[in-house]
Amino acid sequence: MSLAAEAFVSQIAAAEPWPENATLYQPLKEDQILLSDSASSLAVQTFLRMCGLPVLVSCRANAEYMSPSGKVPFIQVGNQVVSELGPIVQFTKAKGHSLSDGLDDVQRAEMKAYMELVNNMLLTAELYIQWCDDYTATEISRPRYSSPYSWPLNHILAYQKQWEVRRKMNVIGWSGKSLEQVYEDVSQCCQALSQRLGTQPYFFNKQPTELDALVFGHLFTILTTQLTNDELAEKVKSYTNLLSFCHRIEHTYFKDRGRINAA
Amino acid sequence: MEKPYRLMGQASTDFWNPLRRALGTLPALKTREEGSISQPSKIIIHLRKQKYNADYDLSAKEGADTLAFVSLLEEKLLPALIYTLWIDSKNYVDVTRCWYAENISFPLNFLLPNRMHCQQLEKLRLMRGDPVLEPGEQLEKELCRDAFECMTLLSQRLGSQKFFFGDSPSSLDAYVFAHLAPLLKIKLPNGKLQQHLNSLNNLQQYCTNILALYFPSDARETPGRKIHAQPDSSDLDNEPHKRRNQILSVLFAVGAMLGYAILTGIVTIKRERPQLKNSGHDDGDEEDED
Repeated sequence: MSLAAEAFVSQIAAAEPWPENATLYQPLKEDQILLSDSASSLAVQTFLRMCGLPVLVSCRANAEYMSPSGKVPFIQVGNQVVSELGPIVQFTKAKGHSLSDGLDDVQRAEMKAYMELVNNMLLTAELYIQWCDDYTATEISRPRYSSPYSWPLNHILAYQKQWEVRRKMNVIGWSGKSLEQVYEDVSQCCQALSQRLGTQPYFFNKQPTELDALVFGHLFTILTTQLTNDELAEKVKSYTNLLSFCHRIEHTYFKDRGRINAA
Repeated sequence: MEKPYRLMGQASTDFWNPLRRALGTLPALKTREEGSISQPSKIIIHLRKQKYNADYDLSAKEGADTLAFVSLLEEKLLPALIYTLWIDSKNYVDVTRCWYAENISFPLNFLLPNRMHCQQLEKLRLMRGDPVLEPGEQLEKELCRDAFECMTLLSQRLGSQKFFFGDSPSSLDAYVFAHLAPLLKIKLPNGKLQQHLNSLNNLQQYCTNILALYFPSDARETPGRKIHAQPDSSDLDNEPHKRRNQILSVLFAVGAMLGYAILTGIVTIKRERPQLKNSGHDDGDEEDED
């Protein structure tokens, strides 16, 4: 979103309370959504639940194209449409709901840094495994991504997406990595998160913040998504405090829905 | 990238070789055992194998914080740096392109800077996930906003400490210094990032401190490049090469024009034949004899 539009949206947002019919849009849950998008969507849903804000989840095949930034998920609140966790956090803050107000400057700096760590390492690793590992791309990613479309559009869109992700990996220096190195990076990231969490219930002691939502979204999705092998999930499972963290959040914020159905 | 070596008391390696950059392999560390290593993370791993480790004394949590803040730098500050140095038209034309062109030999000085500019724009587009991203005020404002936030967060985390984790430097200090020092030292026409950095006193002091400790020779010299807007001074700097290039290009042009003229017949060269006069005399003699 451009800066001027963002300022305008913030002003409008501050004026109106959170409506009951706020909707979150994501790709089709059963057939289409991939690991990375599912993780991002769960992170946003968790954040909104932590804030106590009601949201309806709506699955659309063209959610990616409906989104203002091209990334999912995005939420529609009244007349405004906001995508991705960062802008959504700012949007809810403008409406007077924030999870990180109680943090001091140093803690806020650490929170933002750890959120970037998750985006930089975990999300990139998920994208790598989905699109740069040939076996996973052929068996899972391309068929799922293109499932709503008919031939030949399905092939074109799937290969286009794969090519775009591979180019990005090339630019950020991940294309030279092997799958084992990527798993090793995931393990390193989980180790950092585990050390930061320690024995506390949440990352910043007693109160959850958007960092907790983001970490939960990614870790829970990794643990519950069936890929071509279990190595990614095993990396996460080796950190027991992260496992209990995920159970705790699922139990606290999602108990009304029973078990969350991940893709 | 000299930073980790400096931190560990090693002599610095000369990494200025734009031809290697043309092949995309800077920074590059040449070692006896493993040849050339080019990515910063691999270089650090190699140094650790040689038992040079700036993070040895860090606790587990500090190690985790290092990873997190490095990610913050790469996601929030690096795009703005790339934009400021390579994409912003004023900075690129006045500073970066001149700087590279002056230090690269003919004929690559015409090709490489522009190629690098295109590569950096492509990199920015892919990092932002927007294939039709165009440089402009809008993009600049968004990138600057993220970079200002990042610098403010770093300043808040640093506080009044000498280094990020106490009194001795670590690899996080190397990363932060490497990203902030160019902003501090290069004089850019469009310097919004510099202004913000200068407003954060502790970060400015931190960079100056590291510069004095680990790069004393560079700190003593005139820092960075002072770029003058007038073309005269840059002409004076380049005087000998410029004159030589001018003469060579004039000679080449004249030679090309002459060659074209001769080949197309505009100019013909007629040779005088002195034998005609001699044969005329001989005929006359023969007639006389007859």
